[in-house]
Amino acid sequence: MNVVFAVKQYISKMIEDSGPGMKVLLMDKETTGIVSMVYTQSEILQKEVYLFERIDSQNREIMKHLKAICFLRPTKENVDYLIQELRRPKYSIYFIYFSNVISKSDVKSLAEADEQEVVAEVQEFYGDYIAVNPHLFSLNILGCCQGRNWDPVQLSRTTQGLTALLLSLKKCPMIRYQLSSEAAKRLAECVKQVITKEYELFEFRRTEVPPLLLILDRCDDAITPLLNQWTYQAMVHELLGINNNRIDLSRVPGISKDLREVVLSAENDEFYANNMYLNFAEIGSNIKNLMEDFQKKKPKEQQKLESIADMKAFVENYPQFKKMSGTVSKHVTVVGELSRLVSERNLLEVSEVEQELACQNDHSSALQNVKRLLQNPKVTEFDAARLVMLYALHYERHSSNSLPGLMMDLRNKGVSEKYRKLVSAVVEYGGKRVRGSDLFSPKDAVAITKQFLKGLKGVENVYTQHQPFLHETLDHLIKGKLKENLYPYLGPSTLRDRPQDIIVFIIGGATYEEALTVYNLNRTTPGVRIVLGGTTVHNTKSFLEEVLASGLHSRSKESSQVTSRSASRR
Amino acid sequence: MASLDDPGEVREGFLCPLCLKNLQSFYQLQSHYEEEHSGEDRDVKGQIKSLVQKAKKAKNRLLKREGDDRVESGTQGYESFSYGGVDPYMWEPQELGAVRSHLSDFKKHRAARIDHYVVEVNKLIIRLEKLTAFDRTNTESAKIRAIEKSVVPWVNDQDVPFCPDCGNKFSIRTRRHHCRLCGSIMCKKCMELISLPFANKLTSASKDSLSTHTSPSQSPNSVHGSRRGSISSVSSVSSVLDEKDDDRIRCCTHCKDTLLKREQQIDEKEHTPDIVKLYEKLRLCMEKVDQKAPEYIKMAASLNAGETTYSLEHAGDLRVEVQKVYELIDALSKKILTLGLNQDPPPHPNTLRLQKMIRYSATLFVQEKLLGLMSLPTREQFEELKKKRKQEMERKRILERQAVLESQRRLEERRSDLASHAANGEAKAAGRTDEVRTLQENLRQLQDEYDQQQTEKAIELSRRQAEEEDLQREQLQMLCEREWEREREQFRAASLHTRTRSLDFREIRPFQLEPGREPRTHLACALDLGFSSIQSSTAVETPSPLSALEPVRVWSGPPALGQESFPQNTVLQQNELASLNPFDEEDASSPTAEGTSSPPAAEPSFGPSARSLKEYNPFEEEEEAVAGNPFTNPDSPAPNPFDEEDEHPHQRPSSPPVPGNPFEGATCTNPFEMDSDSGPEGEEPIEEELLLQQIDNIKAYIFDAKQCGRLDEVEVLTENLRELKRTLAKQKGGTD
Repeated sequence: MNVVFAVKQYISKMIEDSGPGMKVLLMDKETTGIVSMVYTQSEILQKEVYLFERIDSQNREIMKHLKAICFLRPTKENVDYLIQELRRPKYSIYFIYFSNVISKSDVKSLAEADEQEVVAEVQEFYGDYIAVNPHLFSLNILGCCQGRNWDPVQLSRTTQGLTALLLSLKKCPMIRYQLSSEAAKRLAECVKQVITKEYELFEFRRTEVPPLLLILDRCDDAITPLLNQWTYQAMVHELLGINNNRIDLSRVPGISKDLREVVLSAENDEFYANNMYLNFAEIGSNIKNLMEDFQKKKPKEQQKLESIADMKAFVENYPQFKKMSGTVSKHVTVVGELSRLVSERNLLEVSEVEQELACQNDHSSALQNVKRLLQNPKVTEFDAARLVMLYALHYERHSSNSLPGLMMDLRNKGVSEKYRKLVSAVVEYGGKRVRGSDLFSPKDAVAITKQFLKGLKGVENVYTQHQPFLHETLDHLIKGKLKENLYPYLGPSTLRDRPQDIIVFIIGGATYEEALTVYNLNRTTPGVRIVLGGTTVHNTKSFLEEVLASGLHSRSKESSQVTSRSASRR
Repeated sequence: MASLDDPGEVREGFLCPLCLKNLQSFYQLQSHYEEEHSGEDRDVKGQIKSLVQKAKKAKNRLLKREGDDRVESGTQGYESFSYGGVDPYMWEPQELGAVRSHLSDFKKHRAARIDHYVVEVNKLIIRLEKLTAFDRTNTESAKIRAIEKSVVPWVNDQDVPFCPDCGNKFSIRTRRHHCRLCGSIMCKKCMELISLPFANKLTSASKDSLSTHTSPSQSPNSVHGSRRGSISSVSSVSSVLDEKDDDRIRCCTHCKDTLLKREQQIDEKEHTPDIVKLYEKLRLCMEKVDQKAPEYIKMAASLNAGETTYSLEHAGDLRVEVQKVYELIDALSKKILTLGLNQDPPPHPNTLRLQKMIRYSATLFVQEKLLGLMSLPTREQFEELKKKRKQEMERKRILERQAVLESQRRLEERRSDLASHAANGEAKAAGRTDEVRTLQENLRQLQDEYDQQQTEKAIELSRRQAEEEDLQREQLQMLCEREWEREREQFRAASLHTRTRSLDFREIRPFQLEPGREPRTHLACALDLGFSSIQSSTAVETPSPLSALEPVRVWSGPPALGQESFPQNTVLQQNELASLNPFDEEDASSPTAEGTSSPPAAEPSFGPSARSLKEYNPFEEEEEAVAGNPFTNPDSPAPNPFDEEDEHPHQRPSSPPVPGNPFEGATCTNPFEMDSDSGPEGEEPIEEELLLQQIDNIKAYIFDAKQCGRLDEVEVLTENLRELKRTLAKQKGGTD
């Protein structure tokens, strides 16, 4: 059930099968991302893969002394490129792997192009998704729906991705979906269709309890992607943006050249692997501890590491240290930038109110706090808008809803129109009318007691009190209590036992907060393994883009490129 | 992942991974690393480790903080299964995901296509061969044309009004040309020519590949290819118009294309670029390193631990060898890096990138592996290490031995317990003896190995001693006899009470001691024995040639209770040896026993094996008897019975180290040593006891010496005696 490992195994197998000798890896745009998530350059170099080329690159030289490993998605374009390539082969021998099911006719046309008999292998290796963490995958699709329905192109891509995931994990699941979402049902049917069509592929050893695929829709929980995050991975994504494990730091003031873009991958960065789920304060202290230890060794330098700036200076002054814990200097930069943004944008205060809006039901206090923050000049328009969005979502039908007043405040604050329009768009996207379940008020007695107790105990950490709705859904699912009238099975058969292997897929994108929830569920629940996936992994900015792309807000058609520029960073 | 597309800046050369210092060769890097970072790197690792630990701890703390459901989670590291769940990173390994091969399908389609293609190519080549199979230059063009036409039927001129390639209408100006290979028609512009050498290359290659003999007509063709001037004069009008290309063959672009592809294939088959050759060498070297380095590391680790499994020289050679391979790798990868850099058309950027990447990976390889090569100890260091290791091993062996003897001791304890029971309750004795026997059997097994070693040493030692002693013994025999006789009477009387006669002296011991004390003393004695066995083994293990001297040393040391008992016990041990294996060790061990000791109780029970003991024991016995110790001790006003028990041994071992010459130096000086050693240290009452006893002993020696008429010895002994007395007096004064 480890998706990173599944993809990595595929890649390793390809390289292994090609035998010794210099190799070039021929990929397309998407597979480049897929490979780069699981392999580092130095790792792959050791396997004699020295060059990485794009199949669509025109500038490739004939190098007959290289073996070519082609890892491509089975698209029409790629097949055409490959046909051209085989007609005039640039490399001595070709090992061709498609990341998904390829049609027989495509195989035939490729075969006919291979007049020089350079192809040694044609296989399907189902690594057709981005493996982010062992339990988290993404398809990097932004804007999967038009209105409430699928964009057909994205539906087929999502179906491919999801079936590839099932194949790579060797799971032939039962499917449940969220009834309130038409898109979820549609996707469930498409996946089922593929399973039926490629039944030979899906014939795996039967497990006692069949695996379960649960398909959800982002609409059901629009709150989670709107919150500021405080655990490392989620926070980096929220404030800086993670794109295939890469972080663009070029806009960080005074950044050095080699840190313009950094890679955060738990696969080869031990510090990151150990800290990605820790909260911000702890990471800071971890880095500080490390450097203080290092400093002890060098008694001549007596200066204290009080601030992150000190740490940065320190790291720069010690090339030795830089190399020793190479990754740490990267993390110092990242954490430094995070802390700069936190103070610049007054995020602690903002986040506290966000959490209150998300977790508590005290309308008047919430309203008061939002109003207060809207007056604060340090709060950016982006954060102001998201506070109002959260308020609008939570108190949508509250008797004394004062959204219009808040919208006025936004206008007075000078928040641009695109954000103000997004408020209603978000409500349209994830409002009460759409939701199949109640996000805010707990229904069953246990949950009520829990919340009551929580209220008594006080919260340990105000910034991380929010629990994604997914947690409750999965908790019920694990306990066999997930209601069938809300999450029906596709087809007649139902699961009698409690599920063991669970794949959750969220149409419209998952979040890192949800990934953390799943991580913790995996760690705390015996015998249960959960993999989370989404059409993409959202931060607030990308979520708002998703909302926009769905085009739900009829009046905001013209503002198509909202938020794309510098929205989250000002 | 460091970006796949742009590898970024790759730093070259031998960079120290810690301080990024660029060093010129890997020798320098290595020595640099050893000098600068050998101490450091442990710290670095330690730091990283501690960081990780901190991170884990912190993570757990965080998890605790996060919501009610997770409170109980994460009190331990991820490996912990205590709360049931598993970190996704720790999920069990999974098999390779599903795969599906299209190769057979692909091959089927390709085969159909390839057949067609191959037939095409072969047809062209066969025709080409026919066209070049005659001497073109010396043949009339009309005849050539006829031959050409016979090879492939030409398409009718009338059928093709336009050039199929460029679409121009054929006219008197744009004449039709026939492809000699397929017979098709094209205009002049679209016509291609095949030179004879090119044709030859193709035909000969395909012949080679078919491994048929080359046609003899071919080579002359290419040789005579240049004689075209003379032919042009005789060539026909048409051939003049054809611009005298009679040594070339006309063909269409299509056929030319196919042939060119074919040529390319042939070329590639034969040609291996330089980079491939170098790269192959490089890989060979890397394999060699992968093979040799672990071997070397094993050796170096072993040598550094002071083991002698491998020779230092051999390891050194291997090190040099591995280093040479590294150097080679470095040189080769550098060569690859600079390949073609000076060529006129500079190589394609991709070629350069390939070269750079190979160099980079070689550097990574060297850096990673080279620094793993630990250094060897120098010769002197190695000697030291060896010594250390030896000591270590010795200690380990002793510990092991002790463990064995410990268990042995336990048995002994039980046995002496039993023995005492037997002594006390005579009625039960019969039943118990069986038990005792079983125990004894066990003990015997346990002791087997110990015996072996012990006896071997003892044999040697005792042989030497025995020779020396022989004379003296004879002299003493007479004297002893009377005393011994008396003893024997005593014990016979005692042994009448029991049926354990066949057992060794130990069982009888209690009887001997019985008059003195209650059973508790026996127990104590048995305990002492346990100690002794441990320590005696130490003594035996130590390589000092005179193991018999050991007890003396200990004895003269601080008189702690346990230690004091030790000499006696060694002695007992050895006696036991003799008694346990009475038949095979009779001669060998009993002299040792004589040499080291003679518990007064032993002789009667020894039976046949005690022969030499009998001879010897009386001697000691007599001494003691003269001194009056064995029998006075129990009655002496010692503070506690244990002390008494301990006193016994002291007198006895005093002789063992030099059994052959009890009247010479060793014995004489020992008491003295003891005095000076124990005087300042210790417990006064015991010291006094010791002194007194020693004095008694010496008195006995003096007496003996006088008897034998060795006056000089008497003098020395008296001197010692005086010394002892003085110390005693001093002590008394001190305590008072």
